[in-house]
Amino acid sequence: MTPKTSTPAPSLDDFLTASAALTGFDAFELHATGMAELYHDTAREQVGDAALGRLLDALAAAGGDPDGIADEIARDIARALAHTWYLGVWPQLAASVHTALGRQQANAAFTVSPEAYTEGLVWRTFHGHPAGAKPPGFGTWADPPPGAPAVARAGAGAPGLPGPRGGGA
Amino acid sequence: MSPAPRHGRGRYDVIVVGAGLSGSLIAKELGDKGWRVLVLEAGTGTLDGWPGHLDALDTFYGALAKVPNSPYRPNAAAPSPDVLDVTGLPAGGYRARGYFVQNGPLPYSTDYLRARGGTVLHWLGLTPRMHPEDFRTRRTYGYGRDWPLGYDDLEPHYRAAERALGVAGDAAEQAAAVGLPFPDGYVYPMHAIPRSYVDDVFAARLDGATVREAPGAPGTTLRVTGTPHARNSTPDRRYDGGRGYRPAGAAGLPNYGERCVGNASCVPICPVQAKYTPLKTQATWDRRRVRLLTHAVVGRVLADGNGRALGVEYQEYEDPAAPVATTRTAEADVVVLAAHAIENARLLLVSRLAGHSDQVGRNLMDHPVLLGWGLARHPVGPFRGPASTSGLESFRTGPARRERAPFRIEISNWGWGWPAGSPGSDVARLLGIGAGPAQPRAKGVFGARLRTALGEEIGRQVSVQFLMEQEAEERNRVTVDRRHPDRLGNPRPVITYDLSERVKRGMAAARSVSEEIFRLLGAEDRTAYEPGPLSPGYFRFEGRGFAFNGAGHGGGTHIMGASRGTSVVDAWQRCWDHPNLYAVGCGSMPSMGTSNPSLTMAALALRSSERIHRDLTEAHRPAAVGPLSPEPVGDGRTEGPA
Ligand SMILES: Cc1cc2nc3c(=O)[nH]c(=O)nc-3n(C[C@H](O)[C@H](O)[C@H](O)COP(=O)(O)OP(=O)(O)OC[C@H]3O[C@@H](n4cnc5c(N)ncnc54)[C@H](O)[C@@H]3O)c2cc1C
Ligand code: SF4
Repeated sequence: MTPKTSTPAPSLDDFLTASAALTGFDAFELHATGMAELYHDTAREQVGDAALGRLLDALAAAGGDPDGIADEIARDIARALAHTWYLGVWPQLAASVHTALGRQQANAAFTVSPEAYTEGLVWRTFHGHPAGAKPPGFGTWADPPPGAPAVARAGAGAPGLPGPRGGGA
Repeated sequence: MSPAPRHGRGRYDVIVVGAGLSGSLIAKELGDKGWRVLVLEAGTGTLDGWPGHLDALDTFYGALAKVPNSPYRPNAAAPSPDVLDVTGLPAGGYRARGYFVQNGPLPYSTDYLRARGGTVLHWLGLTPRMHPEDFRTRRTYGYGRDWPLGYDDLEPHYRAAERALGVAGDAAEQAAAVGLPFPDGYVYPMHAIPRSYVDDVFAARLDGATVREAPGAPGTTLRVTGTPHARNSTPDRRYDGGRGYRPAGAAGLPNYGERCVGNASCVPICPVQAKYTPLKTQATWDRRRVRLLTHAVVGRVLADGNGRALGVEYQEYEDPAAPVATTRTAEADVVVLAAHAIENARLLLVSRLAGHSDQVGRNLMDHPVLLGWGLARHPVGPFRGPASTSGLESFRTGPARRERAPFRIEISNWGWGWPAGSPGSDVARLLGIGAGPAQPRAKGVFGARLRTALGEEIGRQVSVQFLMEQEAEERNRVTVDRRHPDRLGNPRPVITYDLSERVKRGMAAARSVSEEIFRLLGAEDRTAYEPGPLSPGYFRFEGRGFAFNGAGHGGGTHIMGASRGTSVVDAWQRCWDHPNLYAVGCGSMPSMGTSNPSLTMAALALRSSERIHRDLTEAHRPAAVGPLSPEPVGDGRTEGPA
């Protein structure tokens, strides 16, 4: 899809700088997902270079702090980008923003690619792995996750806890 | 694509309708005994090879809603119901689209899968046995229907099913905590799947604690108990008198999937196939005797005037996207319907068979599920390992059953995945994205604050699933109506479904227990039941709102009983009205207790194959003593990319 204006295309670097501010993951981590170019292309296709540029400008004007984005169109594109990075899914835009942008395509959510799902950042926020990929290995689910206290394991005969424990036949 | 093979030629000893769990087990047993078996499967066979499996995995990754049927391609010739077909209305009530026509007070919001391998491709794989008292609730507690056989009759078949499916578990723990009788020294084929850290957190706070399900009710003591799974773990050397057990790996890729590696996506697809699926059983079929034909939608059972089944009529199609069908027939001495509870009933109704008792299609049951969810005080590591590794089993049995439905409690390892669509919904919520594009959006948080907030919230998500027993009720039923055909002209199932007062009382008790559990855990209870699009199962009871979900455990629709006047099949799952027509599966179960039903169903199927073998032997000798077909009979159809 061709952008409707002749605005210069926001560069991948600028896109990543903004993405880092929006996601809380640094540009290196974002690159390492292998998704950077695909998401850059997706954003340009979905909202056009002008609107994407508008977000990058608004973010720069706010000193790189997404909280400072005042423009609702820019903010909704920010939501969409963060959503895509975290889940691999481009979301529906707010109806008003969709209309304001005069988008040609349907305002529909979609998974950007199968890998986009498995590279979603959300799993990393709680030290997890994407459901259905990158399995951590047999029995790993028994270990306390980072930041969790150790508790008694089954069969360890925790003192004071009544009830027989399974210990083989 | 290869030309349509000829297969009407020759008679078969047995026709099995459906290559799901029941059908695959029966075909295996009878093929091994030397009988010629034709398996007719309505769905495609795309999933049987490794490339097809990888394609399904990619489809799952790419799906927006990761529902049970999301990895599997839609098939217009053999449509499947989908959980997304049912949506709730703003003030309660529901709307249903898709394959089922629904006209009951409450929705039957559960799916199945019509493809080679069947619904078990996307099952979770929990395989608890039923409790002895589940088989006789009418005699003991005055409700429901009794089985014409008991736990003891089924016990050897339970063991056979545990071997066939490859069950990992701790028999001693099941005996002590659930009260299941096992033969002395019995061990499961594999050691128990390790319980999760979530389970440990629950156990530390709950084991030995007593809760009341209502003020003044007697106390019930809690104990976190491991659940048996049909999922590869560490083989137990002691199994089978010391002969041990070799786990069955992936279908289509040797030496793979022999152990669960914690992908945490058992529903809807296990990437490594460490979870049992019928494709594993199919890989061991004696292919000289068992012939599988996919793309073959059975539409009708053919019978003569004396009630003997002659065979079946089926429609063969090429392209699942734009099916054009050729009608064919196949004949055999014995016909076995193994097409899933609802499809079996549909086939009997369309064929106008087995109707003497007027029970075909009636007594539709599921395990209606109530969910409870909360936030623990510290990270628990959700979304790791199989969806549930332990449960709380103390509400499954005992005199409280006189008043309310009993329930089994599954401790979830997958955070708020089921109750709230986490983690996707958490991301959207924190970003300020509401239910739809028209809803005003909150400002949202971004950057490091977003990352930290997600980690802190999702990392502490806990939930519990209450599987309620639903007793057989004639008004809950499947019917057919020619005015609602599918693409091939077969009538779609019309479902009338509701929950009884007894089930609702069970849910009210479960809700109280849920509150107690979160209190004991020191977790913040976030459970809330509201009407809306995501709550088609919303209802009010005694002044409170509830929302239930389906479990996918359809049963009861060709109910088994002790007499021809009141039931469809006898204790062998043989239709009373038709001595050579069997209807197998959960549809035969007079009650389902609180156990996930498929192990019991598998035990019944294995038991029935013994009977079918005897029937056939009485009629004539097995083919093994005569000449075998010179070349192996392969699948009717091998799938290429369409
Ligand atoms: C999400 C989910 C999770 C589940 N988890 C568990 C669990 O953990 N433990 C448990 O015990 N149970 C579980 N179940 C239930 C379990 O999947 C069913 O009990 C089981 O699959 C029933 O087996 P079946 O052989 O009767 O039917 P199916 O497995 O559905 O197989 C029926 C076969 O018949 C074919 N067929 C249908 N119609 C026709 C026709 N007209 N002609 C030819 N072929 C036809 C189908 O394509 C299919 O291959 C779960 C179910 C769901 C939905
Ligand atoms: S946890 Fe993962 S590897 Fe284990 S059975 Fe489930 S999906 Fe398969």
